[in-house]
Amino acid sequence: MKSNGGSVLKALMKKSRLERIYPFRRGNFDVIGFIIKIALTAAIIALFVVFFDKFADMYLSLETNWQLDIPTRSFELLTMLYGAVIVFMVVSGISQISREIFGADDVKMFSAMPVGSGALFGSKLISIYLGQFIVSIAITLSINLTLGIRILAGWQFYVVTAVICLLLPLITIAISSLLVIPYYRLKLLLKDRFVINFIIVSALLGVMFYLYAIVLDAIKQLLLGGSLKYFFDDKVMATIATMCKYLYPSRWIAGALMSAFETESWLGLILVTAACITLALVMIRLVLMRAMQSRNEGSDRSIRKHSGVSKGNNVFVALLKKEFLHIFRTPSYMFSCFSVAIIMPLMVYFCMTVASSLVQNLVGLEFNLELAVFLTILFGSLTNIFCATNISRDGYMFYVVKGFPISSKTVFLSKVVLCAIVTALSQLTSAILVSAMGYIPWYSGIFLFVVGMLFGLANILVATRYDFDHANFSTEDDGEIKESSNAVSVIILIGLVMSFTVGGAIFAFKAITQLRGANLEYMTYLLAGGLAVLFAALASVYMILGLKRKYYEFEGGNI
Amino acid sequence: MENVERQTVVKVNKLCKRYSKKAELAIKDVSFDCFAGEIVGLLGHNGAGKSTTLKCIEGMLPFESGEVSICGYDIKKEPLKAKANMGFVTDNHAVFIKMTGIEYISLMATIYNVPNDVREERLKKLEDIFQLGDAIHNLISSYSHGMRQKVCMMASLIHEPMLWILDEPMTGLDPRTMRAVREFMREYAESGHCIIFSSHALSSVAMICDRVVLIRKGHQISDINIKELMQQDPDFDFEEYFLKSETDDSEDASANGDGEQEGTDEK
Repeated sequence: MKSNGGSVLKALMKKSRLERIYPFRRGNFDVIGFIIKIALTAAIIALFVVFFDKFADMYLSLETNWQLDIPTRSFELLTMLYGAVIVFMVVSGISQISREIFGADDVKMFSAMPVGSGALFGSKLISIYLGQFIVSIAITLSINLTLGIRILAGWQFYVVTAVICLLLPLITIAISSLLVIPYYRLKLLLKDRFVINFIIVSALLGVMFYLYAIVLDAIKQLLLGGSLKYFFDDKVMATIATMCKYLYPSRWIAGALMSAFETESWLGLILVTAACITLALVMIRLVLMRAMQSRNEGSDRSIRKHSGVSKGNNVFVALLKKEFLHIFRTPSYMFSCFSVAIIMPLMVYFCMTVASSLVQNLVGLEFNLELAVFLTILFGSLTNIFCATNISRDGYMFYVVKGFPISSKTVFLSKVVLCAIVTALSQLTSAILVSAMGYIPWYSGIFLFVVGMLFGLANILVATRYDFDHANFSTEDDGEIKESSNAVSVIILIGLVMSFTVGGAIFAFKAITQLRGANLEYMTYLLAGGLAVLFAALASVYMILGLKRKYYEFEGGNI
Repeated sequence: MENVERQTVVKVNKLCKRYSKKAELAIKDVSFDCFAGEIVGLLGHNGAGKSTTLKCIEGMLPFESGEVSICGYDIKKEPLKAKANMGFVTDNHAVFIKMTGIEYISLMATIYNVPNDVREERLKKLEDIFQLGDAIHNLISSYSHGMRQKVCMMASLIHEPMLWILDEPMTGLDPRTMRAVREFMREYAESGHCIIFSSHALSSVAMICDRVVLIRKGHQISDINIKELMQQDPDFDFEEYFLKSETDDSEDASANGDGEQEGTDEK
């Protein structure tokens, strides 16, 4: 007897709900981490709203042929934004579908049960839809409420906004399910080709960050008195108009929002939704089911040259190698650890080029060293977020390692030292780049490296210990962590607080002393250096306090 | 009973373990000794507390009270020395799946300080038994359950431990390997080592074990020398004995008003 889709969905939803509330039921839910996660998300949305509001204010005041045209500017703004939102949601949809269909263990389990594959896939898509619906609400409301208030939109605008919240994930998931097979094939092609994977991912990240630097430069122009207006000359505006004319389906969304009773946009939206869903269903029937079954068969490809048992004698080095291989051979870990660490110096450099002149123009003083210290700590912290999974990454193997004759010191040291090596290489490149480009003298470059390293070490130690105290092991077969934990949010917050506290202190001190005519440049070295030593010392104490006892008494991980 | 003094490899004394402060004891007052040259089976139904007992012996889980010593080393006071004398295979074939089979075995050889000059020879011997073939050079993530079980066994034996602990060792193995493993276990024990393995498969236990420790709802209900019993009574039916001991125990429990929940919540 076959179960229907409704009961499968109900079962899946119940399973997912139980998994989410499991830490509650066990009584070890990380409340602080959860609150910080929510607060960070709210802060990001608030930051976006502030910048978008400022940009919208400038963009709506642009004139074409010496005339204000707020409805057209609003239409263009919405078309471009929804174009970006659709791309974002399609990409995240592809990743979610791929994970749910080809990565989740329950598919294997349900495949062996009397559950139709169509119903199984359908129910998976509905649960993904519900997740995307929440994202859609957050994004759509942020954009539409900000713009709606600014252009004094009527009630129709808000009614259409509600409809778009429902329709948007439907369109994007349908498009995602069409693209998931090529994505999966590409993933299979790159599977086990770790070096190629690493190069491609790092290059893509580099390009993305270059584009981000361009956006940062535009924000700088905006902050320096609205000169960004001059960027939008007649030629640029004509290009934007042409682009918006052909940017489907986002131009239909914008059209429906700006003119609720416009037939063309509604017709287009309904047709594109229906076409996407139909095509997606055909695709599911023809290709995805087969791919899902082939995934269950697994692969058996040799990836290494044949070698004998290795001759190493050093347990610490062996654990270090194990840690490296674990990260390097898991694409998501490799991206979060190595690729981000490679790109970190570029982040510092790009931001330095933008912020150096910005600060000089705004304050009238040169703050290059202070800026370099601030950016190094900030991006160093963001690079070390990965360390917030240092323990959870091991999953059940953390228990197995406890059964080996290895001291707790060696286990933790191998994790911390690998992260420290990655941080050291990243910080060194960053310091060389900033000094070589002439922003700071060479001796300040050395100072920058030492300070960056000490703060990096503090990050690593705090992240590792926090993760140990709040470990959350994956229950998937491959043990891979697919969702960011509360520990990640806590470490982001600590990193932000640390960088803004230190950055703020050295900026304020230099500004006050210079305005009073005193040149106490050595105080920047003293203050930043002193705080770096203090943070590193505090983090070391936090890391080692009761560690040995807690290691032998460890029963966490929520598994 | 032989009067020859045998080397005690494992000593478990009044072991008690609970998973959280509010929970019932998952195992209560479990005590047994294991000697060199012996295969001891830990028998009980699902959730009886077999895996919990083994994990406490392995040092994977802390325990409330009692003592565990391996080759004379207390697992709490001298954990590294105690653990150096054992090799173990967990019930869920846990292994670092992003390593190849050979990389994982090499890691174990280093962790257990196996001399370089004997590594290749030991590996060859293990390859002959477990027949993993060229797959040993593949990533473990591409292995089937049976292959993972094999690589776990090989890695746990690379240092030729005095104590070999196996939690449900036959799960996922093909019949040929199962027989090879059984033969190897016998051979390994006869060469002076000690093996403890958990199972709820009566046939495997009866076939391999010298002694059997029966556990039910976290309580040890008996410790019998199955080989002796079989020698004394050729018609001895182990299945019958096991089922009877279970019934007796539940009758005792109801007579004593013992309403203890199963609550083992095994990891």
